[in-house]
This record gives sequence, C-alpha cells and structure tokens, in this order.
Amino acid sequence: MESAQKKDVPVVTVLDPKFKYEVAREPGGENIKYCFQCGTCTSGCKVAEFDSKYNPRKIIRMVILGMRERVLSGDFIWLCATCYTCHERCPQDVRIPEVMNALKNIAVREGYIHPAFRAQAELIAGYGRLYEVDELANEKRTDWGLTEIPQGCPEVAEIYGITGLADLLSGGAGGKL
Amino acid sequence: MPSMLQDTGFDARIGVYVCHCGLNIAGVVDVEAVRESARFLEGVVVVRDNRYTCSEVGQKGIADDIKEFMLNRVVIASCSPRLHEKTFRTLLEKSGLNPHLLEMANIREHCSWVHYDNHEAATEKAKGLVHSSVARARLLQPLSRTKGRVVPEVMVVGGGVAGISASLYLGGMGIKTYLVEREPSIGGHMAMLDKTFPTLDCSLCILSPKMVEVAECENIKVLSYSEIEKVEGQVGDFRVQVRRKPRYVNEEKCVGCGDCVAKCPVKVKDDFNRNMGTRKAIYIPFPQAIPPAYVIDDQNCRYLTQGKCKICQAVCERGAIEYDQTSYVETIEVGAIIVATGFQPYDPRGLPQYGYGRFPNVITSLDFERLICADGPTYGKLKRPGDSQVPKRVAFIQCVGSRSVASGCRGYGLDAETGSSVGATDPKAYCSRVCCMITAKQAFMVKEKYPDAEVYVYYIDMRTAGKGFEEFYQRGRHEGIVFLRGKPGEIEERDDGCLRIISEDLDSGCILDLCFDMVVLAQGLTPPDGLVEFAQKMNLSRSEDGFLMEGHPKLRPAETAIDGIYLAGCVQFPKDIPDSVAQAGAAAAAAAVTCSKESIEIDPLGPVIDEALCIGCKLCEMLCPYGAIKVELTDKGPKAKSIEVACKGCGVCGASCSTRAITMKHYTDSQLTAQAKAILEVV
Amino acid sequence: MKMAVFLGCTVPVRNLSYELSAKRVAGELGLELVDIPEFGCCGYPVKSVHHETAYLLAARNLALAEERGLDICTLCSACTSVLTEVSRELTANEALLDATCKSLGMLGRRYSGKVKVKHFVRVLYEDIGLEAVEKAVKRPLDMFSIASHYGCHYLKPSEIYDRFDHPEVPQSLDRLVAATGARAVDYRTKKDCCGGAILGVDEETALSMARAKLDDISNAGADAINLICPFCSVMYGANQRKIGAGRDVKYDLPILYYPQILGLAMGISHEELGLMQNPIRPRALLAKIS
Repeated sequence: MESAQKKDVPVVTVLDPKFKYEVAREPGGENIKYCFQCGTCTSGCKVAEFDSKYNPRKIIRMVILGMRERVLSGDFIWLCATCYTCHERCPQDVRIPEVMNALKNIAVREGYIHPAFRAQAELIAGYGRLYEVDELANEKRTDWGLTEIPQGCPEVAEIYGITGLADLLSGGAGGKL
Repeated sequence: MPSMLQDTGFDARIGVYVCHCGLNIAGVVDVEAVRESARFLEGVVVVRDNRYTCSEVGQKGIADDIKEFMLNRVVIASCSPRLHEKTFRTLLEKSGLNPHLLEMANIREHCSWVHYDNHEAATEKAKGLVHSSVARARLLQPLSRTKGRVVPEVMVVGGGVAGISASLYLGGMGIKTYLVEREPSIGGHMAMLDKTFPTLDCSLCILSPKMVEVAECENIKVLSYSEIEKVEGQVGDFRVQVRRKPRYVNEEKCVGCGDCVAKCPVKVKDDFNRNMGTRKAIYIPFPQAIPPAYVIDDQNCRYLTQGKCKICQAVCERGAIEYDQTSYVETIEVGAIIVATGFQPYDPRGLPQYGYGRFPNVITSLDFERLICADGPTYGKLKRPGDSQVPKRVAFIQCVGSRSVASGCRGYGLDAETGSSVGATDPKAYCSRVCCMITAKQAFMVKEKYPDAEVYVYYIDMRTAGKGFEEFYQRGRHEGIVFLRGKPGEIEERDDGCLRIISEDLDSGCILDLCFDMVVLAQGLTPPDGLVEFAQKMNLSRSEDGFLMEGHPKLRPAETAIDGIYLAGCVQFPKDIPDSVAQAGAAAAAAAVTCSKESIEIDPLGPVIDEALCIGCKLCEMLCPYGAIKVELTDKGPKAKSIEVACKGCGVCGASCSTRAITMKHYTDSQLTAQAKAILEVV
Repeated sequence: MKMAVFLGCTVPVRNLSYELSAKRVAGELGLELVDIPEFGCCGYPVKSVHHETAYLLAARNLALAEERGLDICTLCSACTSVLTEVSRELTANEALLDATCKSLGMLGRRYSGKVKVKHFVRVLYEDIGLEAVEKAVKRPLDMFSIASHYGCHYLKPSEIYDRFDHPEVPQSLDRLVAATGARAVDYRTKKDCCGGAILGVDEETALSMARAKLDDISNAGADAINLICPFCSVMYGANQRKIGAGRDVKYDLPILYYPQILGLAMGISHEELGLMQNPIRPRALLAKIS
C-alpha cells in the first residue's frame, strides 16, 4: 500500500477508497464513516495507555484513508480488549470495539488470523468450549456435589461447518501473521 | 376579463406548464415526455415547458395563453407550492382568473430531487403527478377570500436580549408591545454573563441600558413573572391568555430600598448565581433587574409556607408587601406574536464521566460567568467551589452536550445515593455555535485576571466564524492559552480535590496525563424547558434538533409556518448575541408589516356543512384542535357551525364526519378522488 | 424463580467455587438454577474471528433454554454480553431470526426469540432485590473491606443491559457488598478493564493493566477483591503471583466471588462456599471472621 520510507516518514501514495465501504458493510462496522477524529476513544483506552501500538483513533483513520493491507495485516487490530469504554463515550456512535471485530473478521477471511485466536477457535471446535471437560474434571465436580458435564459438544463443530469457519481455519488462515 | 371564463358551467380549459427549473428538474426528469403525456388529457388546451416558469418570461407566457386560449384552469408542474403558489396565484388574479383555479404538481422535491438516481422512475412519477393535477384542476371551484381584522399590537414572549431588542424595535415604531417574561426580571441569560465575546464588553453594562429603555418606553408593557397559558385566533387577531404569577410585592409601590431583604430571616440557594451563593426568600435577582421590584419566593417564604413571620411587611415603609396576591389569567389581544424564549444550557450530569455535580471543582460555562462576575457569589474572584482556592491550572472541555449523538450511556446519569436517574439529558447532534468563543473568552479572562495561571482548552475543532472571532482566538494563543486537539474521555477527582484528565493530544501524538485545579465544561445550548408544550399551545413545529422551526431555512429565518408568529434568538437555534439581536430586528419588521395592514385576507379553506346530513353528533367539535367548529341548536335540531376566523383548514372535521356532511373547500371529496384515480391510472 | 444457569467454559472446570457458591446462595434466596448439560461455548471467543459463527453458537444456547421454557442466568460476564446481544438482536431483527432459524434447523433445533439473559449478580440486584439480600444476612461482614471489580461486559455495552447500572458511575456491586455489612472500598481505577481479553496477544500489556488495578486496590486498603467473572479471575487470581514476582511485590490479595461474600454473610460455612479452593487462599480474611 505505502511506498518507501523517507527518513522514517511513512509516505503513503496509494489508498484504497473502497475499504471504508467494505468495513461499513461488515456487521459492527456500519457507523465507521461517522468518525470525526475527536480522540475520545484513545483518551479513555486502557490498552493505549500501556501500549503505543494500539490507538483506536488511528486505526479508524487508516481505515477511512484506505490503508487496507496495513490495517488487516497489522497485529494491532487484535489488541482491542473489547472493554467498551470507548463505545460508551464515542460521540458519533462509531461502535469502535465492533469496528475492530469487523476488521478482524475481514482479516481472517484474508488469511490473517492471530495465532492466539486461531488456537481458541480450534479448541472450541474440538471440545465445544474453551476447555476440555475430561473424566478427572467430572470426578472433581461429582465430589463437590455438582452435576457432570458431557465431554465434547459435536453441534459446535457442526456450526463451524454450516458457517464456513471450519473451511476458513483449514484453508491455512493465519499463515501470514 | 370576462368572468364567464371561470364559470364552472363552461367546460374546463386547462393550460399545463412543465418547468425545467434549469437542471433541477430537467437534469433528471424528461420534461418533454411529461409535457407530451399531458397534451391529450381531457380539458387540456395547451401544454408547454419552460426553463424557468417563475421568471418574467415564463409568467408572461402563461398570461398570454390565458387570453389567447381562454384558459380557465392552470396547472404548473414545478417546485413545492410553498415556494411559488403565491406567485402564480397572483398571476392568475392579474389575468382575471380566480386564484384558486391554480393547481401545482411538485415534480422537483417529489421527483427529481428524491429520485435523482433513477431518471426513468422520476419521469413516470412526474407524469402521474401532472395527470392527477389535471384531474383535480377540472373540478376546481372559484373561491372568495374573507377579511379578518388586525389588532395593531404585538406580544413578545421571552425577555432575553432577543425579546428586549424586538420589543424596542416595535416600541420605537409606535407599536404597542407586551413583553412577557417568566422570570421576575427581564434580561435572560445575557444578564448572567460577565463579559461578551470578542469585544469583552461588560455584559450588563450594554444590556442594562436596553432594559431601562424597555421600562421607560411608553409603548412597551412588561409582564414579568408571567407565562403563556393559551393562544387562540389567527394572524392579525390572536387572543393570548397570560398567567400572571404573584410577586407578593406591589410593583408600583416597591422602590427597591432593600429594607425587606436585610430583615428576611430565610436564606436559600441563589439560582441566579447558579446555586453557588445564597439569597433571601424576598429578593431581587440582580441589582439592575427590570422591573426593579422585589419578589417573594413562595416555596421558601416562612409566612407563605408556615403562616408566621411577616417581618418584611412590618419593615416595608411603602406598604408594598401583599401576601394575599394570587395568580390570575389576563387575556390580551394582539395581531402578531414574536417567540423569543431562548435556550437552556445543557445539563452535564447526563455525561457523568465528567463528574459535574459530583466533583465540586468541575463547573459549567455559565457557572464560570457567575464566579468571575463582580456581582457573583465570590465578587469576581475566581474561587473554585471545592475549597475557595484560586486555581492555578484551569482546563476547559469543549462540546459537552454538543456534536454527539445520544447512544451508549450518554444522556443519563445516576444518583450516587439512590441509584435513581438524574439529569437525563441527551447530548445533541448539532454544534451549539457559541461555545468555542465562550471558552476562548473565558480562557482569556482567566489569563487577564491571573497571568500566571495555566490555561488549557481541550477541543475537537475550534469554530471561530464571526466578525473578530478568529482574531480573538489568535490573541488567546498569543496570551499563552494552550489549545489541545483531543477530547478527554473522563475526569477523575484526586483526594486533594484536583482533577486528573488523561487524553490523547492528537497534534503531538502523546497521551497527556494532567492535573487541574478546576475544569470548566463548555455546555451546549439546548431547547428551553417546556418548549414541547409551548409549541403545542402555539401549534408551532419543531425541527429535528428540538428548536422551533423557521418558515424557510434560508428565506424566512425569523418567521414560522403560522402567519403572524415570528421567531427571534436561540429558540430557533443557538446563536450569539449579535445574531439574536439581528433576528429580533427581522422578526420585529415582519410583525410590523402584519400590524400595518388594515385587514388580513383569510384563505377560504374551511368546511362547508350540509345541514341536511349533519346529525349533530359533535365528533367534529371534539376533534377540532382550534375550537373552530361548534354544534348549535337550530330549529332543525343540533347542527355543526363553522367559526371561520378560528378555522385553519386542517380538514380533521371533514375527514371524521360520519355522515359525510362536511366538505372541505378547495379539497372536496370529488377533487381528491379524481386526483387519486388519475395517479393510479398512470401507475 | 427458576432459570437455566449458563456456566460457560471456564467456571465448571477452573472456578468450581464460583459455581458452587452461586448455586448454594441462589437456593437460599429462592432462585432455582437448572443445569442444561448440552450448553456449549457462548460464542464470545469467536466473535472477533467469525461473527456469524459467534451468533449461531449463542443462538444455539438460547434455543436450548427456550426448549425448557427458561431464561438464562450467567456467571461469566463475557457469556452475558454475547448471549444478551444475540437474544436482543434476534428479538428485534426478524430477518436475522429467520436466517438463524434456518441454520439452527440443520442441527434440528429452533428458536423463536423468547429467552432473556441476565448475569447472576444482576438477578440478585434487580429480581431478588437489595432488600431481600440484606434480610438474608445473618453475620454482617463489618470486619471486611472489599473492593469490587466490575469488569467490562457486566455493564457494557450499556444499551443491551437496559441501563440497569451506569458504566461511568457503577454502583450495583458496591451496594451488594454494602448489603453484606462489609465496607465497599472505593478506588481510582474501579471501572478499568482487567486486560484478560488480550492476554494471548500481548501478555506484557495485559498484565500491566491488571497490575495497575492490583496496586490501586492494595493501596486503597482492601482485604479482598470482589469478582463476578471467571475471565477477570484469571488475571487477578491465577496471574497475581506472576504480576507481583516481576517487581518483587507480594500482593496476597484474595479474590472472592460475590456469592461467596454473600454466602459468608448469610452464615454459610466457608467450606460449603469453596473459599479455600480460590486461586488466592483467603486465610487472613477467614481468620477475621472467627
């Protein structure tokens, strides 16, 4: 997307003007074009306070400018903690955590998935939940007087099949990150 | 011109004129196709298209056709009748036709503008509208207008700077004017300001001479402490019921000596000083108040609430204290009304992340005005409310309650004690226009009084469009005020009462973590309290932003959709003092035009009641919003009667009549049915 | 009052004491919690990867509750958010409900949009009510100072939670703590996020976020943290030592789940509430009671 760096000045010569519309069509991305760059999101963002890699205002700016590749391939979009502080305060109702989800959804389809999220998604497909409930766990539950939980939940994997997530995961998504 | 032309005994001879409106219509609608589709409709004698039908050339063409083809009906397919119906009605009248034999099809707003992306469909719709207009035109009847009287007096509602200015203009023209104000004194919000931007004039120093002028003008009668209860009638002839609240002090007798105040034993929070100081139960809002008479706050007066005290009466040498005053309604007849009821500052408790109401050192713009004002609770020393210390670092936050849609948790607050909702005010999508300059002014005033103070302004965009505004902003920067682009998410209060703000400084790219001694929230301007009910009483519309809607956003900014009712000041939309005064002038001029007329022509759009069919069921009487139809006992039993002067022609009676005894003039069932049928045929 | 209890992934394996105490306290207060063994992942963890899958996973759980005619009571705040969001969306958006039903049909399930979702603590706050909670207290915990961590998804996005509490000035947990007789500790970073959601992406940042709050809570003089979400528990419980070790700090700040606090105040023994099974054993705290 962007051309050579001149003394650390990121010069961008090519923009994808359609990217903002693409994001706006994605569930959660609908309001992105309302952003007027007031900075309320970043001002209250705890992640941004601790990690300069993450700046929600700048990410939205890059989307509106059309820096598609840079946004989708960046690991920064995975840094939103979805605490919704910005969502509550954004004066233009941009719904920033949902925009981040929209960006991550597009990134996954483009072959970029953060390994931690890939691992989570695969665990869920396998066990029906994030953690395996094995015999030992159930024994402990019974000892505590709690009900046993079935091991596995095949319908969850079926859902991955219905929605196409199973194919996405097996198609080598994540290779680029 | 021979009147037989419009005799409905003759066959209709219709001319159809399709307007290009430059490219406004012709850029989307195939005007020639629309014209040709009307050529052979029943009754159509001539069809033409014009580049601009409203132009001199266009109008002359129609006048010539009326003569040449003996036209007795005219259909014009162009813009909204709101714009040019009057133009073309006048044209018909000049050409010897009754003005009500005109029919307009709105093929601009309803076709080319809304369907700009589908030329074909827009053209088909235009054809349908023209056909339906022709169908209705065939059945149009000549109508004669009636004349109503004009009371050459005006009522101005709201005694802020807009209402004061409008009253002075009218009084100066020799027009008797009633200035109604709901507070005990006129002056409005301007009386609460310390200084005005960008000239730094002392606000009351420039307002109070005008207030005195109002008091001295023999044509102006101030009705303070009064509210509008009911409005009836129409342009030229309004009857307004005004509720006069009791002051418990005789305005004529009171000389404002203040003996009563000195002795009054009840101290309460001073609302004029934004509850930061105290006043007595008998008080005058501020020294320059007009009328310069005291008033007793009946919620707090010991005698009026508990039945004993009467100290003020005992000390008043003039015998001005009258505990037995009660509220009463006065009916006033006027020919025109100017609404200037102002605004209400946004209540930032709707954005509890900024801590207003919880953190004493977070204040609003209006609080700041009182704090810095020599007549304020701190006598002009900028003492922060928490501990009366003069702040060394002051921050301002812009757009509090403005430029924000209401979603998320914005717009409601919760009381920390009870968990119940407080200050539930939705932030507003619009820019309140004045807050950037208010803050620039206040920041400057801090620097002026305390040159060593550090002053920071958090903003989204600085908007300084106005005479001398940008220069003032520049001067502020030169004085050392730091403007920070980036809106803070929240304010935290530290244990020492200082206020911490973490924000992104967009320009340096840094996260700023700063502490301040005081934070001023630049509250937006919102529609005044009770405007919804007030608008209903006056039958006025409000725009999406909640303010009163003007007659036309460009060309009738001081008028309303109701003839004879005009707007001045912030009740129409937030504006600064010069704009309010200018609009007040425009409203006064418009009201004076109305008052200068000997009589008003009233459109003959009322109901025609067929007594034979009327069964006197009173449904129309109950539904009429204007009290313009009453069932009376006649020798044939109870029958509905229309009161023409009160009728606004809304048609509710006609639509609801169960025996179809009521027909609306100019909107008869047969006309509307023909119109609808013609559209359906095209579709 | 009868509700289906949605345990989620973490609670039934890693936070048994939360489940145990919640069920125990619920029983005392007349809230019957029904287990549905077929419940699977709520959908939250895949929402950022594949929106449609997350929605369908959530809808499946809603369908399971609807089959039994029960509303859902959750213990995990993340589960609460996605299940609430989807249940509201499916009620409001007919086209989405139709499409969802089509997919659910392939699993042999159906959903008509009737199930409502509430966090366990919100049920206590709104449905059982503060008064009833106060009445159930037999052993006021006035010797305790407790700092509540609200977390994020219990309150936000506020529009899906009918504004039952205010995310900018939250009160429900503090009032529930106060109802047990304990002192509700106010602290500066009360509203902040634990950082758990990005633990797998940037551990350093996530732990820094948790550390800031641990520091603050310790300085505010709290005996314990009140938690209502197993995700947050990972940060303040499982990772507490790790966070401290990096800087030679030993916090020793017990984490308690709200039903454990309430249970103690109701006079239930700490064994029955699983207190010693918590990630940080609250020995000093328990010594205060006896």
